[in-house]
Amino acid sequence: MSHSQDKSSALGQGVVIFVYLAVLTVLEYFVAISFNAVPLLVVVAVIKAGLVMYYYMHIYKLNQDDSQVDPHSHAYKTGSDRLGLWLFLLSDSFVFAGLLVTRINLLGLTRPNLNQTLGLIVTAVLLVSSFFMNRGETAMGYGDKKAFMTNTLITFVLGLGFLIGVVFVEWRLAAEEGLVASFGNPNVGPVGAVFYMMTGMHAFHVLTGLIFLGVVWNNARKGVYTAEKHWGVEAAAVYWHFVDLVWIFFYPALYLIGTAVK
Amino acid sequence: MKRFFGSALMRGLFWQVVGLLVGAGLVTGIRAIMGLSTIEGPFFFTEPAWVLGAFVGVICFLVGSGVTSDWIKWARGIDTPDHHEDHYTGWEKILNVSVDHKVIGIQYTMTALVLISLGGLFALIFRVELAQSGLQFLTQEFKLFDQNGLALYNSLMSLHGMVMIVSILLGTAGFINYVVPLLIGAQDMAFPRMNAFAYWIAPPAAVLLILSLILGGVSTGWTGYPPLSAKSPMGMQMFFLGVFVAGWSSILGALNNIVTVIRMRAKGMTAWKMPILVWAAVATSLISLTATQLIGLSFQLVMFQRLFGMGFFDPDKGGNPVLFQHLFWFYSHPAVYVFILPGLGVVSELLPVFVRKPLFGYRWIAMSSLGIALVGFVVWAHHMFTSGMNEYLRLPFMYSTLLVAIPTGVKFFSWTATLWGGKIRTPTPMLFVLGSIVVFLMGGLSGPPNATVSTDLHLHDTYFIVGHFHDTIFGGFVFPFFAAIYYWFPKATGRRMNEPLGKIHFWLMTPSFIALTLLMMRVGLIGMRRRIADYDPGLGIDGYHMIMTVMAFLIATSVLVFFYNFFTSLKKGEKAEGNLWNSRSPEWQVPSPMPAHNYETPFEVVGEPYDYGLKDNGFIKFIEPSKGAHK
Repeated sequence: MSHSQDKSSALGQGVVIFVYLAVLTVLEYFVAISFNAVPLLVVVAVIKAGLVMYYYMHIYKLNQDDSQVDPHSHAYKTGSDRLGLWLFLLSDSFVFAGLLVTRINLLGLTRPNLNQTLGLIVTAVLLVSSFFMNRGETAMGYGDKKAFMTNTLITFVLGLGFLIGVVFVEWRLAAEEGLVASFGNPNVGPVGAVFYMMTGMHAFHVLTGLIFLGVVWNNARKGVYTAEKHWGVEAAAVYWHFVDLVWIFFYPALYLIGTAVK
Repeated sequence: MKRFFGSALMRGLFWQVVGLLVGAGLVTGIRAIMGLSTIEGPFFFTEPAWVLGAFVGVICFLVGSGVTSDWIKWARGIDTPDHHEDHYTGWEKILNVSVDHKVIGIQYTMTALVLISLGGLFALIFRVELAQSGLQFLTQEFKLFDQNGLALYNSLMSLHGMVMIVSILLGTAGFINYVVPLLIGAQDMAFPRMNAFAYWIAPPAAVLLILSLILGGVSTGWTGYPPLSAKSPMGMQMFFLGVFVAGWSSILGALNNIVTVIRMRAKGMTAWKMPILVWAAVATSLISLTATQLIGLSFQLVMFQRLFGMGFFDPDKGGNPVLFQHLFWFYSHPAVYVFILPGLGVVSELLPVFVRKPLFGYRWIAMSSLGIALVGFVVWAHHMFTSGMNEYLRLPFMYSTLLVAIPTGVKFFSWTATLWGGKIRTPTPMLFVLGSIVVFLMGGLSGPPNATVSTDLHLHDTYFIVGHFHDTIFGGFVFPFFAAIYYWFPKATGRRMNEPLGKIHFWLMTPSFIALTLLMMRVGLIGMRRRIADYDPGLGIDGYHMIMTVMAFLIATSVLVFFYNFFTSLKKGEKAEGNLWNSRSPEWQVPSPMPAHNYETPFEVVGEPYDYGLKDNGFIKFIEPSKGAHK
């Protein structure tokens, strides 16, 4: 297979996976609004997470055998860096798991009364941003700096849109719903506390992901990365997909599971 | 003097203070604009101002000390060399940023020793108060840091716990950092800059913990349970933040350690040829990497409850205080295995050297560390038998807890079998190894009564528990830590510590400590409760308490002997540049002190790590440069 065929099949794979993820998200939304099937939602979330981890985050790269590679080479060091990043994500996922446990313990089969349309929109925005991130990383893998920068910029804008949607729109709407007494004199019961803590912790990770994207975009502009050496790009992309991965679980946990309470 | 104040540590502390004031000022300014109170209470700034200020201070410390400067360059697209040569010598090396794992190991160890002394000092103060029933000097009238004597007792008791825990985390990180890369034949850790970062985040955390004493104190004990911790003075916030920050040191250090062991082992060092300490370090790191996030999260949630009125643990608003205990103990029980596994690894590592026999059941010992680490994840609720959690949880957690005795027992039988029929030599490190085995046995045997629901309902929150965990921590950390220092001191300095003084240290500390903890368990059974400043003279335990106080001072004296020995041996110790202990381990096959880049020629593993007393070619062989694969 030639170089360009290779590249277009890699990009094509990204499209197919995106379609799967989009269909599953829509499915999960309609399952939730028509009948309350928590196990089904869990299954859908796990499938989505698996797709993201395998096709977008390339978890299988951890399994590459490089025992014959020179330990002082860039390739070997990138292997170590990759393992380090995944261990960091493992560690980080314990924070989010802890928040999910908190949510289950305090709210059980109830959920905050939130704007469903807005929830679906921000979820879609984050998912689409993951799609463009994948395109950007793939482009850099083939040394296409220009396509990388365009796609990363789109990812950045969508990520910013998600952040604004959650922090400036959703939080305000939630406050109007009575999840918080007033800004400046907050007095929040467990429903509001869980909602603000989960979305807040996730938004903080989105923010750091955006900073990371900005850094690699700027470095790409300076010409730091090549088709062979672009660990920074890979790390930023994997981290960005991880942020999406967390939302795959947080979205149903906050918006879809159980019955809404005030 | 100028070089002292220009060191990374002093620069960091300066910027921490600046950052604290800037952050606190910022919040105060915003509050003024919003029309909220700006100055209140005895500590000038408001609580949100202090919290954000403290957080900004930590970041300023890190940037100011220079540990992040390479990363900042990378973010701006500037490449930096893989290795930085150290320009510093002597004490300056310790006070400045270095990416050499050996220097970082020594920095960790020194910081741990400073904090152990501080935590010990706190203990001595409240131990004097406990020497007799009635209030001695920490009375209602006594005032310090906006606390009366009783509140100060609580603060000292809480901070004794947490300062010691942080010092233990740093101490284990110290010898793991120094020794593990040497044992596996690596040039350095996998991520040298992150290694330095993981160390340098600890000093500002320690500053916050000390700040908590000054800003109103900590009233809850080291566990920080709400609802009390949600209502305590502001020191509580500094305590939470300090632990949160120190946790990052643990997490990043563990991450680095796992990657190093997986990716950077010498040729031929397969899993079953790794020294036991490496196995123990990996097992420990698996816990620190993941579970630490949960104590960070639980403390964060209480911080937010205090700052924003978010009712996670507030029953008035529908929150659940027991949830905090679940989140907290999910880390804090496995954490005790973080404290002891490296120490038990040191015991297994040193024992064959001084017995001149192969380690009995190498594979079983290696697997037992992992076994303890994994079982440790499912035992946390045995701390909560009296908390009011769901009753059906009691039995499974009781059995899972008792299960820990099996891998621990494997270690004991293996050590006993290793000792059996060996040619035992007893220089100071070996004395501490034997002390560790005896004391940890006491800790282990006093454990099952606490794990069993029926007996724990009586023992919970008594001095029996205090005796039990001091035994496990001394046996699992303090004794092996001293053993490790006496054993690897020549490796780091090229001089050995004074033997007679080392023996005085051991023979002063061990009997006093054993008497102390046995009496703790005794008074606990009689009815002495944990964490109280005073007790009923009718219990008839005044005499015991007096003896315990005397024993505590004897332990402190022995540690002073250790410090004297340590600092005089640095300059005047007997030269020891060869294989002092006649060990098979790779780090002793090169001259001491260890060269800057570890092994000039790489080695390959040709034998078993612990086959002492057998005829073979040793554990490792250096690869001749002509045959070397990569040089």
